[in-house]
Amino acid sequence: MTIVIGFEGSANKIGIGIVRDGEVLSNPRRTYITPPGQGFLPSQTAKHHRGVILTVLKEALQEAGLKPADIDCVAYTKGPGMGAPLVTVAIVARTVAQLWDKPLLGVNHCVGHIEMGRLVTHASNPTVLYVSGGNTQVIAYSERRYRIFGETIDIAVGNCLDRFARVIKISNDPSPGYNIEQMAKKGKRYIELPYTVKGMDVSFSGILSYIEEAAEKMLGSGECAAEDLCFSLQETLFAMLVEITERAMAHCGSQEVLIVGGVGCNLRLQEMMGIMCEERGARLFATDERFCIDNGAMIAQAGWEMFRSGQQTELSDSWVTQRYRTDEVEVTWRD
Amino acid sequence: MRAAVMAACSDTQDSVPGRLHFFLNVPFPSEREASIALGSLAPDSEPRKGGISKEMCTAGNILNVKWSADEARILRVSVGSFLDHLALVLETMLEFGPPVPL
Repeated sequence: MTIVIGFEGSANKIGIGIVRDGEVLSNPRRTYITPPGQGFLPSQTAKHHRGVILTVLKEALQEAGLKPADIDCVAYTKGPGMGAPLVTVAIVARTVAQLWDKPLLGVNHCVGHIEMGRLVTHASNPTVLYVSGGNTQVIAYSERRYRIFGETIDIAVGNCLDRFARVIKISNDPSPGYNIEQMAKKGKRYIELPYTVKGMDVSFSGILSYIEEAAEKMLGSGECAAEDLCFSLQETLFAMLVEITERAMAHCGSQEVLIVGGVGCNLRLQEMMGIMCEERGARLFATDERFCIDNGAMIAQAGWEMFRSGQQTELSDSWVTQRYRTDEVEVTWRD
Repeated sequence: MRAAVMAACSDTQDSVPGRLHFFLNVPFPSEREASIALGSLAPDSEPRKGGISKEMCTAGNILNVKWSADEARILRVSVGSFLDHLALVLETMLEFGPPVPL
């Protein structure tokens, strides 16, 4: 029996989760929500996390019904992500690992999403679409690495959505993407936007510039409603993601797709991906908001796999890093 | 647990003229706890490579931190950030300590 506690706080969510042999025992989380029109900055986000992290840690232990002595390993997010919040969370993880005399494990945030997706959905070897506010990658496993087949060459798809939400000043509660999704359902007009797939990769910064300008012009003149722009933006962005996912599937001969990351909660994205999968005779796997959105249990789960395959992080190597490629990790727990 | 913080500031000891220095000496209830604090705070290097350096070590139950900076502004930011992190370590120790016997 192996019990791992995982600490995650690379963006505006701070979550701590406990996993025991594939079972999620607890997974409490808090989100730092900024007022409409504002994004979250590193120092303010870190301050938010500092304020709640010990409470969330206590909750994680209480909900799991465990004492620190029961924990076998302390896992935390090494990166990628925002510097200040990453450091805040790592500091607590290092401290409790030393207080409790437990081994420490630095986990790659993207690998955390993938391992939690695999655990929850039981997908055997899927093409993974990892889409969030900070990341957009198409990933497939091959020979001990999660290889990046395609990715954004500028901003993440979730970042494009979040920044558009700021332009039209919609609420960030529970998340800007969720509110765009609800508004998109009421969209009636399709407004053509740039479509920027570059081979296996995608680009979103041009679409963002375009729609920011379009919003000012068209909303100002009453030519269209914000709902129409939300709808059009989703249709465009998601079609691009479906295209590059399909391209990777064709390369790998894959019959499974797994969507992970906060944007993976979006039901329209799941619907569009589902249509493509059906056309190819492939299966689509997705998780719900408990695990799509950044959480501690996903770090614990990746940590569980790493720990059981013999990995450990020395304190002196436990520094965090804003840049940490998914394919830098040696996936020692898979063949 | 009490961790009284004593700070001293001097600009005389380094060979580089005009460099600012800041010293922090933090006593802990035990040598082990000072060493735990060092373990938690040392791994991440200064975000800004130029203009500031920081050295940390323990001497018995005291955590010693020494900063050298070119500008007061950079020094302030680094010390302020460190104190926030130190406070977090102390709170964590209060909530989840004392350290288990080895």
